[in-house]
Amino acid sequence: MILEALIGFTFLAALVVMLAPNAWAGRLAFALSAVPFVGSLYLWSRFDAVGNALTGGTIAFESRYEWVEVGGRTVSWFVGLDGISLPLVVLTTFLVPLAILSAWTPVDSRQSQFYGLMLFMEANLLGVFTALDFFLWFVFWEAVLVPMYFLIGIWGGPRRKYAAIKFFVYTNAASLLMFIGFMSLTFALGDSIGSLALPEITQALADGGLETWFGISPGRMAMVAFLATFAGFAVKVPIVPFHTWLPDAHVEAPTPVSVLLAGVLLKMGTYALLRFNFTMLPDQASALAIPIAAIAVISVVYGAMLALAQKDLKRIVAYSSVSSMGYVILGLVVFTEYGVGGATFQMVAHGLISGLMFMAVGVVYNATHTRMVGDMAGMADRMPVTVGILVAGAFGYMGLPLMAGFAGEFFIFVGAFGAPALPYAPVFTALAMFGIVIVAGYLLSAMQKTLFGPFRLETDYEIGPAPFHDVAPLAVLLAAIIVLGVAPDIFFEMIRDAAMPVVEGVSVDV
Amino acid sequence: MVDAFAYVPAVVLLPFFSFLVALGAGKYLPKGGAFGGVAATAGSFLLSLWVAATVAGGRAYNETLYTWAAGDQFELTFGALIDPLSALMLVIVTLVALLVHVFSLGYMNDEGETGLPRYYAGLGLFTASMLGFVVADNLLMAFMFFELVGLCSYLLIGFHFREPGPPSAAKKAFLVTRFGDYFFLVGVVAVFATFGTAAFAGEGSFPALAEAALAGSGDVWTPGGLGVETWFTVVGLLVLGGVVGKSAQFPLHTWLPDAMEGPTPVSALIHAATMVAAGVYLVARMYGFYALTPTTLAVIAFIGGFTALFAATMGVVKDELKQVLAYSTISQYGYMMLALGAGGYVAAVFHLTTHAFFKALLFLGAGSVIIAMHHNEDMWDMGGLKAKMPVTYYTFLAGSLALAGIFPFAGFWSKDEVLYEALVHGLNEPLLLGGYVMGLLAVPVTAFYTFRMVFLTFHGEPRSATARDPEPVRWNVKGPLTVLGSLAVVTGFINMVPVQKVLGLEGIDYLHRWLDNEWGGIDGLSSHHYADLGPYSSGYIGGGEVPTVLVGAAVSLGLALAGLGLAWRLYNVASPTEHTAKLGGIKDVLYNNYYLDELQVWIAYRTEDVAGGADTFDQGIIDGVVNGVSSVSLLGGNRVRRIQTGLVTQYATMLTLGLIALLVVLGVNGGWFL
Repeated sequence: MILEALIGFTFLAALVVMLAPNAWAGRLAFALSAVPFVGSLYLWSRFDAVGNALTGGTIAFESRYEWVEVGGRTVSWFVGLDGISLPLVVLTTFLVPLAILSAWTPVDSRQSQFYGLMLFMEANLLGVFTALDFFLWFVFWEAVLVPMYFLIGIWGGPRRKYAAIKFFVYTNAASLLMFIGFMSLTFALGDSIGSLALPEITQALADGGLETWFGISPGRMAMVAFLATFAGFAVKVPIVPFHTWLPDAHVEAPTPVSVLLAGVLLKMGTYALLRFNFTMLPDQASALAIPIAAIAVISVVYGAMLALAQKDLKRIVAYSSVSSMGYVILGLVVFTEYGVGGATFQMVAHGLISGLMFMAVGVVYNATHTRMVGDMAGMADRMPVTVGILVAGAFGYMGLPLMAGFAGEFFIFVGAFGAPALPYAPVFTALAMFGIVIVAGYLLSAMQKTLFGPFRLETDYEIGPAPFHDVAPLAVLLAAIIVLGVAPDIFFEMIRDAAMPVVEGVSVDV
Repeated sequence: MVDAFAYVPAVVLLPFFSFLVALGAGKYLPKGGAFGGVAATAGSFLLSLWVAATVAGGRAYNETLYTWAAGDQFELTFGALIDPLSALMLVIVTLVALLVHVFSLGYMNDEGETGLPRYYAGLGLFTASMLGFVVADNLLMAFMFFELVGLCSYLLIGFHFREPGPPSAAKKAFLVTRFGDYFFLVGVVAVFATFGTAAFAGEGSFPALAEAALAGSGDVWTPGGLGVETWFTVVGLLVLGGVVGKSAQFPLHTWLPDAMEGPTPVSALIHAATMVAAGVYLVARMYGFYALTPTTLAVIAFIGGFTALFAATMGVVKDELKQVLAYSTISQYGYMMLALGAGGYVAAVFHLTTHAFFKALLFLGAGSVIIAMHHNEDMWDMGGLKAKMPVTYYTFLAGSLALAGIFPFAGFWSKDEVLYEALVHGLNEPLLLGGYVMGLLAVPVTAFYTFRMVFLTFHGEPRSATARDPEPVRWNVKGPLTVLGSLAVVTGFINMVPVQKVLGLEGIDYLHRWLDNEWGGIDGLSSHHYADLGPYSSGYIGGGEVPTVLVGAAVSLGLALAGLGLAWRLYNVASPTEHTAKLGGIKDVLYNNYYLDELQVWIAYRTEDVAGGADTFDQGIIDGVVNGVSSVSLLGGNRVRRIQTGLVTQYATMLTLGLIALLVVLGVNGGWFL
């Protein structure tokens, strides 16, 4: 019941905030959003899952109620956690209060709706990471888009309508493709499944339950489903060449929305890839290892090159997400303990670091009302603490050891280099690793131009240090990044436990 | 009895605490947190002495202290490895860091700098990172602290962030070394993939496993069935990338002269004991692996010899005091690399030690001169400072004599041994001999630029108003100079190999005995073991060891004196002139550092061009397709609207046609028509 309570409370909080007056909606939303975070810490303290939820492991906080029956398949309310989903739940509940705090300064209209939608989105995100029934999962998955659409479309920048519609249509079309692909797969499973529960589907696929369906052989069916779901999730991640909605969405979205978009929403894509493509259809993933690794490397290097070309600070951070997500794909496709585990760890690490970067850029923007590199210089002189944390966050993004990003990236690299499942693994890994040089190039050069040197910015007002409620979430995020970088096993231990069955699921001739 | 090794973590953590204190409470503390840093480094220094004494008492330490990630595939850990090498390095680093902290009281506090808490926080973190690197018991931990050292150099080089120069120099330092570290990181990952461990010492360490694999008694992973020896060479070269970056070897040396934008005490720390030393130390730390791959050794030696000569030539024409020292650092680390590549493990560590003291001395001396000159660093505005600041002059002179390699100062002994090792091993190895020749040619150049610097700064007539009336310096400047000045004179005596060989005095080569585990140490990490692993044999000239020693020493000393003599003739006059102008075009090339900076800037710009092209492609083609699809569907929507005519007959026709089409499709797929 505890997961229902967590999700239900968040929905309720969204409703309450929606009805609250604008004047104190922000404070109320922050207070209410602290409850799910405390709740997720409680979950963590009582966490007792073993193995992977989809492959027959012990599921923590499992709760299942039959809902309806469609065509001989039951659809249930089925939620639970394992070592892969718990870190993402904690990440979500941790980031939302901080994102809400970072909205206090920039969001100055229709606050109750804004904060209500933020909480509504959080509730659906928690649903995505906890649902273990395909139908339930898909409902949450789609429902996340709705608040996001309004958050960008109402509170966004000048081109908010374009960005919101592009985001919505693009990701929705991708979801449709994924839905069709996956549903075909479940139809082809015939009588070997009696429900749409993900563990059951995983088991049936592993047992060879696919039948010939409308003349499509099991092997081809699995491959078609893999490609359809992969493409569908690739848009969400996003993987090159499906990434172009991301910078538009980020540039137009207000800071707190960007924080959740980069921090959590992108992880929906990688999480789904891990759950569906790499856990359920490992042999197809393995057969396509070379092309997948190639697009991972392209995402890393191409994304980083695009970031290098940008002049808008937020666009730089946005494109660097494309680059970082490329590492996650590489980690998944190598099917090793450190590869898959590192990919999952990197989801959390990148969630924190990109959240911090967007937030810090947002705090600077609150003061300067510009994000263009050429417009300002020497901001460190006026906002020393904010800039100090921004610099620390940037080094986190560059993979500075003892910060979370290094841990995630190193785990992926060390897991990938000698991986037997990926031909030419050392070459792919070494190429992807060059991303750490480019990322240092564009972040250092952007920082040098905007933060250091003699102060220069044309304004008709004085720029001073940012208010406490702007800086506090930055400091909290930085602390979390360092803690996770010094002691990655806080999460990495349970992640490994849940990742091992995925690794063992692939049949590789070593 | 209390065990010194239990306090090894404290050696690292004390400066880290001073970082935290200075960062958090520095502005409320007297002197911006300086005393915390002094106390912490003093504490680390005393503990390091105790640790070294314990090693001298016949013990060593190799323990895993913290598990960072406890996977089944690899266990990633932190630990401490204390053997004669790391114990010696601990003492050097903590001593130099302590003196730099004390000196900073004069250079930063007395000069009224702002941002002192940030400065002392940076120094503390810098020291802590370097100490963590020194005690690291595995390659991953070494890499992590290596990177943190890079971060600290960024923060301290860019200390004066309100000016345009320092942030740019800081960026360059981090970026250029990061480029090297990329290869290093690939190397670390490769070591894990190959050996399953990155431990430096012990039975299951990667040098030991590599040795076994080469002997045919062990099995390791190699990519694509590559031969073991080839693969080890590749791995060795990959790790070397990081060394070349941090130790500022050609072609990644360009960041170091720019790094002079940092405060002078920071330069002393970077050049003598921390960042630049880290690269060479890393090669020494995993010498058991490098000794196994002759190709890598030859590359190291050649890069080293080339860099020694190459950097020295640029030092000849520089006008600024710190610039000359910067190029001398690059050059001197070239000698250490030459020694390592030539199988002279002890010689390299010896030169690392003496250089740490005399280069810290020279930088702090330069700092003293800069205080006196009100932060004017141009040597052509100086002159005649000898009489006004005798402590600085005599200590600086001691450091210069050591740098130039003049008997009996510290640098003479260590440089002589480096060249000796390169010579005796190089007589049978042409590539090594090339390194030796370049190293030898660098000797007179070094002596020349060193004494050009000394004469221009201290001798002759004052050439500016400030030089006539320099600002006096206090005890906090003179104290560290005196300590280091003495060390620059005496450090050479810890290893008087030529004297031992010529006079037949056994046992005065203390450093050799120390690094050979004669007192205490860890099996497999001794200079003898490395010599056994190494590929080299010794050749002698003139019929034996003693003539070779004498000839080698005489030649290098003679060349050094020749360089000194030329500098004396040209610059030890009342009003010296710019003789380097006589070099004509060569001077321009040297002054502009062979245009290598321009080359790197060009590469950076071309990369940006490529990025711009990628951006255009992305906006135009990839996003163009996405937007194109959406406009097609919008257009399609318009067309589709036209068939909504409202005529029921038309709808019925369409329904029927659609049903037929659906049946055909399903039929074909289901095989009904076969």
